[in-house]
Amino acid sequence: MHMTSRYHKNTLVAISTLMVAMLAACSSGGSTKAGSESSDKDAKMVTLRLFTNQPDRKTGQGLAEQMVVDNYMKENPNIKIEVEAIGDEPFRNKQKAYMASNEPIDITMVHSGADLNTLVQAKYVRELDPKEYEGDNYKFFSGAFKSYTFDNKIYGLPRNSDYEVIYYNKKLFTDNHVKVPTTFNELIEAAKTFRANNIVPMSTNGKELWTFGLMYQDFAQRVSGDPNAILDAVDHKKPFTQDPSFMKTAELMKQLMDVKMFQDSYMTADYGTSQNLFTQGKAAMWYMGSWEAGMASNEKLSAEFRSNLGVMSVPRVEDGKGKATDLLAWNGGGYALTTSSNHPEEAKKFFDYMMRADQWAKAAWDTGAAVPAQKYQLTGKESEVQKQLTDILMNGTSMPGASFIDFGTPGFKDEAQNALGKFFAGSSTPEQLINEFQAAADKQKH
Amino acid sequence: MRKVLSNKVAIFLFVFPGIVLFALTFLAPIVLSFYYSFTDTLGPGTQLTMVGFENYKELLLHDSRFWRSLLNAVLLGLGYIILQHPVCILFAILLDRLGGKAEKIFRTIFFIPCVISVVVISRMWLNLLDPSFGIVNKLLDIVGLSSWKHAWLGDTSTALISLLFILIWSGFGWGLLFYYSGIKGIPEDLYEAAHLDGASGIRLHWKITIPLLAPVIAVQVTLAMITALKQMETVFLTTNGGPGDATQFLGVYLYNKAFSASQYGYANAISILFIIVCLLATYLSNRFIPSENA
Repeated sequence: MHMTSRYHKNTLVAISTLMVAMLAACSSGGSTKAGSESSDKDAKMVTLRLFTNQPDRKTGQGLAEQMVVDNYMKENPNIKIEVEAIGDEPFRNKQKAYMASNEPIDITMVHSGADLNTLVQAKYVRELDPKEYEGDNYKFFSGAFKSYTFDNKIYGLPRNSDYEVIYYNKKLFTDNHVKVPTTFNELIEAAKTFRANNIVPMSTNGKELWTFGLMYQDFAQRVSGDPNAILDAVDHKKPFTQDPSFMKTAELMKQLMDVKMFQDSYMTADYGTSQNLFTQGKAAMWYMGSWEAGMASNEKLSAEFRSNLGVMSVPRVEDGKGKATDLLAWNGGGYALTTSSNHPEEAKKFFDYMMRADQWAKAAWDTGAAVPAQKYQLTGKESEVQKQLTDILMNGTSMPGASFIDFGTPGFKDEAQNALGKFFAGSSTPEQLINEFQAAADKQKH
Repeated sequence: MRKVLSNKVAIFLFVFPGIVLFALTFLAPIVLSFYYSFTDTLGPGTQLTMVGFENYKELLLHDSRFWRSLLNAVLLGLGYIILQHPVCILFAILLDRLGGKAEKIFRTIFFIPCVISVVVISRMWLNLLDPSFGIVNKLLDIVGLSSWKHAWLGDTSTALISLLFILIWSGFGWGLLFYYSGIKGIPEDLYEAAHLDGASGIRLHWKITIPLLAPVIAVQVTLAMITALKQMETVFLTTNGGPGDATQFLGVYLYNKAFSASQYGYANAISILFIIVCLLATYLSNRFIPSENA
């Protein structure tokens, strides 16, 4: 009895000591925070956090972004903008982790479509009023908000007009007497010639799989002549299996593999690796988006490469219903405000400033980083690549406005990309690819 | 001191922080994971609908990618046990017999892969095995075996075996270290006695070294199975599970389902099955591998 009461007493003392220690720890943490807040107030300094997928702050879109950030900090000395910039693949994953932990980022880069949809459902991004972004300050192209709209509400603004083109090395084409292809068969012939001369015809980032999705959609559009057919199939309006143009496109893709269009290591190549192969003059073509316009003015790349850089439209398919001017265009990357921001008002002021036509759009165009989603003024100093990209956009005859792998749920994207991975690795047939697309669409409907 | 350690309150005070830490960092996530595995949530904070055993049914009955991942992990585990560990034991014995400076030098050389970052190892092997610029294909060219040239990690027929080779190679140093220290713990007089009895060569090691290494082998086999099941970093950095699903492993598959496909509930169901499989593997290896000296 005596022993028991002594234990009770000791236990009580122990628990009380522990609780006091824990409370002390809590209170000291609280007082530190209060202290820092009050000192913040005194100095009237506000620090905003910008999370972005542009780690290179000296060239391309990273430079354009940094220019806007610097402009804003110069005009608003009480605002400090901390930039957290990491490469795109880790960015996408870290953004999900930030979403899960409600990290107080103020402004974040977002990928429209499936990725943004997840952020919207988690209530991590703020709803925006589209009326605020009409008019001369912003000058967005019509339809630019399509992939940012969910239930008739918009949750972000696009930074670019994204569309797929083929960048090519003029010198390699001239030296090997290859005609710049305007049709699919010419593309196949070009590949054969380059292969015969030990040159990689086209570089691609197969490890990341999304480029295959865009390439498939690009040619499907040229086969069917209907940019919305593939989006309707994802949307379960018309099955993949009932439209012969999808099978025909898969067969064309098979032909690309059969002539060894891509580098031998294409299934393990990431974005940077595939780009290096092209910029080092070891691959004749690179299938990529308009956001790579900055290559022409990137001084890290050799002058020889830059002077030989050309842009072509994706070739038309000989017996297809589409035209060479059909453009796989959409608004992919953009920016959004988060709901977890510690400084929502200041964050919105910076966001509104950044998205103005005379800020991001101007900086992106003037630096040659990308083709904006807003009307931009030609400066007369544009690189040849920029002029060609402008021509391709202005002459675009039909545009789907969305990438099909991003048009469904993130689950659909995963399944569709996995099907493309198997197909491009040579372990499934065109029939299996179409059936797997259909199964992925069925699954998301279910 | 003895008095303090026999006091139950003192024991409680010493153990309590550890238990709290364990509960918060191990048990709580597993309990949460278990809960999420019965939902179809896209991620924490998103809408959450209870779906019962749907995720588990889908996984076990319809998800060939899950079974592929598990099969690859088992193959890697077998690779560790059948290929890597016997070679580790052989090299540990040779190293022990070598003695002197050479022993120290080779011990260091064999351990080098273990101190190199996984990122560097992955990048290095990607470059070595690159079909166009990699040294492996170039060497094949030089020795006249051009027909053997391959996109080692990019071809479905060779990707898995190439990846298993990288993993077995990079883990070799650890296995060697464990067996080597085990051998160093065997008293020299046992060998001397065996010599006097006329034992030598392979027979000596078969009868003395291997039986006395049994406890180390038992632990190593268990660790090998768990390491194989948990494999993630090298796969993620080299093939990301591709091409297709040729090199899909549980860790990468669950990571991609949670963070790329936003199928967070489903990914949690994978993680719960993952835990069960790991526990089962540990139990089986403990149950069937004798760890005591015969």
